[in-house]
Amino acid sequence: MPPQQNLRILISTGHLGTSPSAPDSFHAGMATNPDVVVADGGSSDPGPVYLGENIGMGHFAREELELFLTATRKQGIPLIIGSARDAGTNAGVDEFVRIIQELAIEHRIPKFKLGYFYSEVPKEYLHRKFAAGETFMGLGGFPGLTVAEMEQATRVVAVAGVHPFLKLLEAGADVIIAGRCGDINFTAAPCIHAGFPEALAYHMGKMIECASLVAEPYMGKETVIGTITQNDIRITPYHPDQRCTVASAAGHSMYERENPYYEYTLGGMLDMRHCTYAQHDERTCRIAGAQWVPAQDLRVKLEGAKKVGERYMGFVGIRDPHIVRNVEQALEWCRTSVAKRFGKERYELYLHVFGKNGVLKELEPVKESKAHELGIVVEVLGDTPALTEKITDFAVRTFFFARIPGVKGTAGTAATTKLPMRATPGYVWNVNHTMPVADPLELFPTHLTEAGV
Amino acid sequence: MAAIKLGELATTVRSKNAGVNQVTFDIIFRTPQDYERARNSGALSRAAVARLYNVPPERISDFVEFDVANAIKFTLYRSQPGGSPGDWDMLGCQQYGPLLEVVIP
Repeated sequence: MPPQQNLRILISTGHLGTSPSAPDSFHAGMATNPDVVVADGGSSDPGPVYLGENIGMGHFAREELELFLTATRKQGIPLIIGSARDAGTNAGVDEFVRIIQELAIEHRIPKFKLGYFYSEVPKEYLHRKFAAGETFMGLGGFPGLTVAEMEQATRVVAVAGVHPFLKLLEAGADVIIAGRCGDINFTAAPCIHAGFPEALAYHMGKMIECASLVAEPYMGKETVIGTITQNDIRITPYHPDQRCTVASAAGHSMYERENPYYEYTLGGMLDMRHCTYAQHDERTCRIAGAQWVPAQDLRVKLEGAKKVGERYMGFVGIRDPHIVRNVEQALEWCRTSVAKRFGKERYELYLHVFGKNGVLKELEPVKESKAHELGIVVEVLGDTPALTEKITDFAVRTFFFARIPGVKGTAGTAATTKLPMRATPGYVWNVNHTMPVADPLELFPTHLTEAGV
Repeated sequence: MAAIKLGELATTVRSKNAGVNQVTFDIIFRTPQDYERARNSGALSRAAVARLYNVPPERISDFVEFDVANAIKFTLYRSQPGGSPGDWDMLGCQQYGPLLEVVIP
């Protein structure tokens, strides 16, 4: 059989489930008969809570899966979903597999092969690695991992390469639900499976992972199609007002990475130093020149989250110009009052002052706020919900009674509303490391089942 | 040439997480001329952006002049990993704000 000339992959979202894909450009793209549809179900960007609590963040996952499943089954093309339910935990994979099975019955879709793989790493496995003297190298400035730190993680997932996807594609899977995986790999895998060069396959994965963000003007949740050939990749947006230009594509190639030239994943490194970008037609950018450098030693990335405590938040408004000017005194009054009353308890108190430096904190260069009012979010972490609520309520009230010399108002020094609200528990990333593996499949068990009627 | 704010000269100024412990900043210009003007002015040098955000230079993990995209890109280590308690920009996507006010001579 002569080699396939090109493979066209459609993607309509950079994060499945957060908000619905725009239907018009999706259907316009589907009308051109793409070969594969892919979507990224997750990321570490929304923080450690989703991995730690084993929950999903998006409210539109089922709706988007329904759109993708019905459209791809109608055309008989594969559907590949990466990092199921945000963190890519086993429960997330199981939930997405269940949704696919339910939708297949609901829509009376003829039987098809449903493949999935898990990414969670059992603690016993990590203990064996530590016992064998393996090193866990920190990423992004993290120090090396210790056994004690690893044990504090509620849950650990490994980030998969293309390998479990390839195994499932070779087994004939029509739909793949992945555990945690690298954002570029669910696109690279079908390209490699179809015989295209690894360098171009991984680079296409990088370019289309966020769908329409690769094109201009800025629009989210719109469809693009990436086309891979033996020599290049081409990116075409399907919203009528979007274009993929040299500027937008080259700009996107550095998106969400510390460095524009190198992308590391399990199995190797994508070297983009010698890439070329050219306008192929009015709306399409042509990209070539990436190189794939296979890794000498396989290292897999691990992600883990540990719980810091239960969390409540309260809200305070300040309108008195004297207190606005002297808000530091009010903050200090709050901190010392809470310490005096709850100093024996284990708690963390954070005061986010919007109108001053709520977003940037110590990085904020504007020292003199021009705001005529300030909003303060009181964030408290503690060991139990009851105690955390009590501390939060107390901390909010300290603003009401703040003792600031020169205050004219003597009936309350802060505007408040409602009771403190319970928030998701607090977590921190505590595993952000790589670990050696002998086999790129060893942490990612694959399964193949059937769905449909 | 009259001095101009970066918010007027650049076409894209953005920030976003790059992994869980870093935030990366992309400043993209429409033309090589605008890019070179900003780059050569020194107002966006590694030292200048460290001063702007009031961080020691070692907090900048990468600083790249990315000619093919007419872009300047730098990456900061976060004070704590994204989404930790006390962090109000878990995606790092509003950290670019102060850059728009930088004056390019």
